[in-house]
Amino acid sequence: MSNEEKLPKLKLFGLPALLPFILKYRVMFIRMIALGALVSVFDSVYPLFNRYAIDHFVGEKTLDTLPIFIGLMVLGILLQGFFNYINVRDCARMELFINRDLRNNAFNHLQTVSLSYFNQNNVGYIHARVMSDSGKIGEMVAWNIMDIVWFGSYIFFSVIVMFTVNVRLALIVVAILPVAILLIALFQRKLTHLNRQVREENSKITAAINEGISGVRSIKTLAIEERMSGEFFEKTAGMRRLSIRTAHYGALFAAVVTLLSSFALCVVLWRGGSLTAAAVVEVGTLSVFMSYALNMLDPIQNIVGSIAHMISIQVNIERYLKLMETTGEVTDRPDVIEKYGDAFNEKRENWEKLIGDIEFKDVSFHYPDGEEMVLEHFNLKVPAGTNVAIVGETGAGKSTLINLVCRFYEPTDGVVLIDGRDSRDRSLSWLHANIGYVLQTPHLFSGTIRDNLKYGNPDATDEQIMEALHAVSAGGLLEKLDKGLDTETGEGGDFLSTGEKQLLSIARALLADPRILILDEATSSIDTQTERCIQDAIKTVIKDRTSFVIAHRLSTIVNADVILLVSAGRIVERGTHAQLMKARGEYFRLYTRQYEDLLADSSAGI
Amino acid sequence: MEAKKEKENIRGRFATIRFFMKGSVRFFLCSVIFVCLLVVFELVNPKVIGWTVDFVTGDMSRMPQFLKDLVERLGGRSWCIEHLWVFSLIVAGIAVIGAVCRYAFRMFNGTMAETLVKRMRDTVYDQVIHLPFKWHDDNRTGDIIQRATSDVDMVRNFISEQLTSVFRMVILLVLALSMMASINGWLTLAAAAFIPVIIGYSLIFHRKIGSAFEKADTEEGKLSAIAQENISGLRVVRAFGRERYERERFEGKNETYTKLWVRTMQLLSIFWITNDIIGGFQMVTVLGLGAHLAVAGAISAGEYVSFIAYNGMLIWPVRQLGRVISEMSKAGVSIDRLRYILDSKREEDAQGAVDFPDSTDIDFEKVSFSYGEGEVLKGLDLHIKAGQTIGILGGTGTGKSTMAALLDGLYELPKENGCIKVGGIDIRSIKKHELRKNIGLMLQEPYLFSRTLEENITIAAPKSTHADVEAASKGASLDTAIERFNEGYKTPVGERGVTLSGGQKQRTAIARTLIRKTPVMIFDDSLSAVDAQTDAKIRAGLAQAGQGVTVILISHRITTLMNADRIFVIEDGRVAEEGSHEELLALGGRYRRIYDLQSAFTEDEGEVAHE
Repeated sequence: MSNEEKLPKLKLFGLPALLPFILKYRVMFIRMIALGALVSVFDSVYPLFNRYAIDHFVGEKTLDTLPIFIGLMVLGILLQGFFNYINVRDCARMELFINRDLRNNAFNHLQTVSLSYFNQNNVGYIHARVMSDSGKIGEMVAWNIMDIVWFGSYIFFSVIVMFTVNVRLALIVVAILPVAILLIALFQRKLTHLNRQVREENSKITAAINEGISGVRSIKTLAIEERMSGEFFEKTAGMRRLSIRTAHYGALFAAVVTLLSSFALCVVLWRGGSLTAAAVVEVGTLSVFMSYALNMLDPIQNIVGSIAHMISIQVNIERYLKLMETTGEVTDRPDVIEKYGDAFNEKRENWEKLIGDIEFKDVSFHYPDGEEMVLEHFNLKVPAGTNVAIVGETGAGKSTLINLVCRFYEPTDGVVLIDGRDSRDRSLSWLHANIGYVLQTPHLFSGTIRDNLKYGNPDATDEQIMEALHAVSAGGLLEKLDKGLDTETGEGGDFLSTGEKQLLSIARALLADPRILILDEATSSIDTQTERCIQDAIKTVIKDRTSFVIAHRLSTIVNADVILLVSAGRIVERGTHAQLMKARGEYFRLYTRQYEDLLADSSAGI
Repeated sequence: MEAKKEKENIRGRFATIRFFMKGSVRFFLCSVIFVCLLVVFELVNPKVIGWTVDFVTGDMSRMPQFLKDLVERLGGRSWCIEHLWVFSLIVAGIAVIGAVCRYAFRMFNGTMAETLVKRMRDTVYDQVIHLPFKWHDDNRTGDIIQRATSDVDMVRNFISEQLTSVFRMVILLVLALSMMASINGWLTLAAAAFIPVIIGYSLIFHRKIGSAFEKADTEEGKLSAIAQENISGLRVVRAFGRERYERERFEGKNETYTKLWVRTMQLLSIFWITNDIIGGFQMVTVLGLGAHLAVAGAISAGEYVSFIAYNGMLIWPVRQLGRVISEMSKAGVSIDRLRYILDSKREEDAQGAVDFPDSTDIDFEKVSFSYGEGEVLKGLDLHIKAGQTIGILGGTGTGKSTMAALLDGLYELPKENGCIKVGGIDIRSIKKHELRKNIGLMLQEPYLFSRTLEENITIAAPKSTHADVEAASKGASLDTAIERFNEGYKTPVGERGVTLSGGQKQRTAIARTLIRKTPVMIFDDSLSAVDAQTDAKIRAGLAQAGQGVTVILISHRITTLMNADRIFVIEDGRVAEEGSHEELLALGGRYRRIYDLQSAFTEDEGEVAHE
């Protein structure tokens, strides 16, 4: 956290980098700034009305110009109200539109970023770039800039008015400005620093609350309630101390600022009073200066606060820009895009049919974030319809081949041929449209069961969906649900059991009718009946397709056409089950050591 | 009836606020006192300004007598004008006192808020971790977390910001209006006539905008969920080539969300501007009517000036009042949500509950149990002798975990549903805390805390030495893994142990259970994520460490259990078979069937393996 909080130094608060987004609404932006300045002119001129009322009506005891006076004021109020309305509306829209554009851009960019980015950053972090950074930047571009313009122009015009009315008194009020700015800036710095500490401390407490509540079952079985409470109380006590210290500075700040403006008032009273008594200035003028003296500090405080906020937003801008700079390491060549289209504009009419012959030809590969080669001069022919099982311990690197087949990554050297042609010769979308993917932890989207099943094949009819469900023997699942295909799955499929989710994700892959199927078998133990269904479903779905299965179940492994054994990131053995057993190598050892486990999984429950 | 309920509800809210404010009431009172003083000093300024104006213009007819006397005593008007700085100094003095009041108010208010928030957080946290399992089953984790965080903040803001500002506003309104009234009644009436309009308008508006905000919040939640799902399901999106679909979905939602906010902000800006205009008209009225009165001689120039200044002070609190009132209902909801937690019943020991007995014979006698609908245990009878190692075999949903939870007193077993005895004593009459301190239950999904490995292991055994930690880690086969970490035992495990693999997490939790050295240990499916070899090693370690300790192993895997002294096969909430591994095999029943099923593959494939 403290690392992230370090403030980067961007030019002009990072605004130049945001220029393209702002320029899109340049008319609105310019209007916003112009009207903001204009509206505050009204505010800086109002004291003059008071002056006139005092000097003319009260001083000269006449009401001759009262109707005009009132008329002018009403006109001023209405005009200001009108401009103000447009200004606030512009400002709000500016914020919302920039926020929307930034979000869309980030989201769309994410769809093209390489998978390695997602492996290096956790979901929460990426999510915050899309959702919260954009919001903060939008707010800054609109409201902070607006505040600075508004209050800056108020100060500017007030100073002009003061000097035109009376130079000597104006000098007195203006003299306090530098002192005020210095004091306010110093306090603001201290407060910004303290507030950051408070936020950090607060997030620790939130984490502790989170932990206490989600870990409550372990806390109770370990009988450590008192200990956990005690530790929590210490944390909140620390937070209390820190916050009170912050409150102290905040209070001091407020007191000093008001004191400063009161002193300005005193000086105006003293000098201005003498001048008035000596009939050099009129009473109205004195009252104008008194109100300026009292009102000058608020805008300064606002401007300094806005600048401090803009500085703190730098972190968000930098993080956002970093995301946008992250390129997709895997992209289609321009000529490929020309012919096949990109992810957002497919040219399906030019797509060839995919048959499913896959060949690794002299492939060497290392991950972008690692130095070590995980594949070296690797050759493997997988004719269409072959079933490849990839076996190995957790963390041995079983996903590597799959990542290459799916073109989530590209070989460092050598080529992956699909139907005899370099997979880079055709577009990613073409390849992906022909791949079905069943994840180890099935990922469903919120929406109905139908939405989820249609994910791989948007044109599927209900009949086709039912067919797929029956093919994976998940027809029974539907009967359990009162709304059938229209049943909501909940966020991430929360309303379904793990086994049900697995069945659905297999049905989803089947419905897409892909030529290539990637399947990462689940390890979690589920009840026997569902387990059998899943095994049958897997058999159904890999039939007649080129398939790569990261396998844990014995039956899947033994029946595979080719078994690849992965250890420490490399493919150490390959062959059929019988060949590998005969070889008495790693596979044999792994197999004899783990078969009990594999068995237990496949016959879990009674 | 409705009204009575409403009244009771409000009384309950106040009781809750009173409860939370214990310890911060004095700070609250001090901050109210100082805010009132602050208002008084703020209100002196316009008066002084007014007098000064009258004084320098020479129109002293409407000044209070004491001031006139004072001026006389000081040496008349001319002396005073030459020594205007004296009055300036008086104003400065008042300003200093005002600043002190402002500082004191904010300090007391801040101290109050922090004391209050600490008490709220502490109470809620302590309460939540003392609430029974049942309560946590019934309430969603996310919802409880929200109550403990955002609802607490809401109440804190309400009390420290809204409640004190209500005092400030009311005092300001009353005093400013009476000051104004002392200058001129009619003028005051004209100025005050706008007040109900502004408050009423603001009140109606805030009620209305509340629902718009809520709708926008819901939309934001949906948009956020789409992004969340897209990022976590990225491989699926890519592999199915649905980038375009995802983009359209996100952009569509984003557009809806933005439009909703544009509309809400439009409403909000109309409200602000209308308020400004009403305020402006009020000012014009005062200026115009005031001028009229001044010309007629009813008020002096100084009074005119100070009246305008007082009037300027009115606008802000009047506008705020409407907002505060509408916020009040929101804070009320938050208080109710916290009250729900506070009013939930903590676990309680039976009257005259005793300590954990010396003997650890365990008896389940005709135990039936259901979590809600559908019985999980149906008259379960099961007897365990102290010091034995017991295996419990059963499929998912047969009630294995429920047995463990009931034995640990985690759920209340109703009187008529049989009983569980430890050392011959019904566990209902054993202190719950003692029970759990003596029965080391490792849950199926153990939770690791965000601290170091060693801290996690010793969390329930704070007095253990490093040697104990090493021994426990060895017993859990965790030692070799720990040696491979750069920081060894000081390695932080991250939130929920994210930096560890599934097997490492499980083994850490086993070490955490072992180090407690409890007379009874229960491992509920605790070896599922470790490989067969480690499983065997851990079991051997258990047998050694478990001399004289009752060990209960729960699993659906026969290899985990087969060395136990006694094995119970649970089916459909009852004991279906019991005996040693050999006895059960000889029995030729369910156990045998499961055994055959699990070893069918063994023989089949084993031939290849052992040829």
